[in-house]
Amino acid sequence: MEQRPAVPGDTGETERRDKSGFGLGMVKGLATTARTFFRPTHTQEYPDVKPHLPPRNRGVIALVEENCTVCMLCSRECPDWCIYIDSHKETLPATTEGGRERQRNVLDRYAIDFSLCMYCGICVEVCPFDALHWSPEFEYAEFDVRDLVHERDRLHQWSASVLPPPPPDPAAPPPKEIAAAEKAAAKAAAAASAQGGPTDKPGEGRTK
Amino acid sequence: MSKAWQTPRVDSASSTLDVGIGAGGLATADMVLNIGPQHPATHGVLRLRLVVDGEKIVSAEPVVGYMHRGAEKLFEVRDYRQIIVLANRHDWLSAFANELGVVLATEQLLGMEVPERAVWIRTLLAELNRVLSHLMFLGSYPLELGALTPVFYAFREREELQSVLEELSGGRLHYMFNRVGGLKQDVPAGWTLRTLDAIKAVRRRMPDLENLLTDNEIVKARTVDVGVLSRDLAAAYGVSGPIARASGLDVDLRRDEPYLAYGELFAPGGPGRVPVRKHGDCYDRLVVLIEQVRVSLDLAEACVEKLRSLPAGPVNVRLPKVLKVPEGHVYRWTENPLGLNGYYLVSRGDKVPWRLKLRSASFNNVQVLTRMLPGQLMSDMVSIMGSMFFVVGDVDK
Repeated sequence: MEQRPAVPGDTGETERRDKSGFGLGMVKGLATTARTFFRPTHTQEYPDVKPHLPPRNRGVIALVEENCTVCMLCSRECPDWCIYIDSHKETLPATTEGGRERQRNVLDRYAIDFSLCMYCGICVEVCPFDALHWSPEFEYAEFDVRDLVHERDRLHQWSASVLPPPPPDPAAPPPKEIAAAEKAAAKAAAAASAQGGPTDKPGEGRTK
Repeated sequence: MSKAWQTPRVDSASSTLDVGIGAGGLATADMVLNIGPQHPATHGVLRLRLVVDGEKIVSAEPVVGYMHRGAEKLFEVRDYRQIIVLANRHDWLSAFANELGVVLATEQLLGMEVPERAVWIRTLLAELNRVLSHLMFLGSYPLELGALTPVFYAFREREELQSVLEELSGGRLHYMFNRVGGLKQDVPAGWTLRTLDAIKAVRRRMPDLENLLTDNEIVKARTVDVGVLSRDLAAAYGVSGPIARASGLDVDLRRDEPYLAYGELFAPGGPGRVPVRKHGDCYDRLVVLIEQVRVSLDLAEACVEKLRSLPAGPVNVRLPKVLKVPEGHVYRWTENPLGLNGYYLVSRGDKVPWRLKLRSASFNNVQVLTRMLPGQLMSDMVSIMGSMFFVVGDVDK
């Protein structure tokens, strides 16, 4: 391989050797520390001053039980299988006369072992019903490693501290929920105009 | 001009030493000395098996594997999203760059086109990650030399950049932000401006850190002409990254084999440049690191500017529910903060790779210690080892 010319600013030999011999370099460093001494500190005294954490912070996983349908996607997609789910099927009687009985899943146990969790967020990402959220809460260290298994009630408590997501960058495409709502509104408007009824302006559905 | 506190330096090539016990004809027996795996002088659990004759190192052998986690085998039973979780952990200081190699290899095998905005955000994050990694070593290396102060300055700057990365990805160390086909999600509103502020703040305060390091007589006394790694030896051992460039080995994949948006950034007139030094001693390695921080900040700023001028668009592509990668194999390497990081991906059409070989930079960079340490003094051992800038997780995988 051919040798490329050294970059500009590579002074090479001169700066490698101490020119003065009077420790001027150290004086320079001391001047820097002296200047910094008179500047305001940039540290926070943690237990007294709580850190300001962004909404996307991956602190702890919160469970919104009501949204969980026991589809098991989270525990299957977890790279180290630290989500434990137990459930049973429940038969609901028919709601109408002569109707069919329906079965639904009932959650018995939902636990995340935070001693194994790698905080990758795949479970939150795959959850199709928004039952899992990240909360920026982080103060849950334990003296016993077994206490890091958070059962459903503890996971549910975390959901109180979940922050709303930040607004996206102007250059970002609209969220898929908005696109879906616009499409549905346009479809409804088209159906209404085909019937000859009063027409809504397309896109009105999104402002709901 | 020679000062009292400066030890006379000896060329590593010559085997005659005129200082220290064991020199000057005193009959001494060789002693085997284990440094590590748990030792205050090591960082991480790298074990060095040294044979010393008095204060002189006769031979050195890095014993690796104390932190082997079987990452390559684990890759084989994880799908491509789960691999990202593992891949960003072998070198925990350059998580983003590690993720990048995996997704680039997967995308190449899939023949997938990544949206332009995603490419630029990836480049930006890769450069911010490089700055973070370099700042860590700019803090820890003086710490190993006995200077306590620089680490606080380095960590202040790290905090500045980590907070913007945390706002974006939710993580401070393991970003987990790459996905096959792009990124996890778009940037929050105003993030680009905050990033620009952070970059400018770090650049403004970098001279503080440099003042403490580059001109300091003690740092110079302990690093100049210590642990010289020749260009040929670096090439022979596959040493890469800032260490190789400090020895005059002018290799940087960002320029030589551009990926992401580096082709544009390293084009003539662009902000990209590759700092190269020729001496290959500890001091040059330190200086190259500082210079690389400046370059990376320039690149990151260029990325933000470009990002702000790009038209609106997505940052990822829709993936099928089960992502299967077609049969084939591909080798993708990227310029990680510590050197060349390569992934050899072999797929047999499954949703998991059949094999994902990992070529990590630190592994090769550490091996060359067997040739660098013999002939050196014990007191220079820490100085040399610290200047090889390795992460033990990257060595042991």
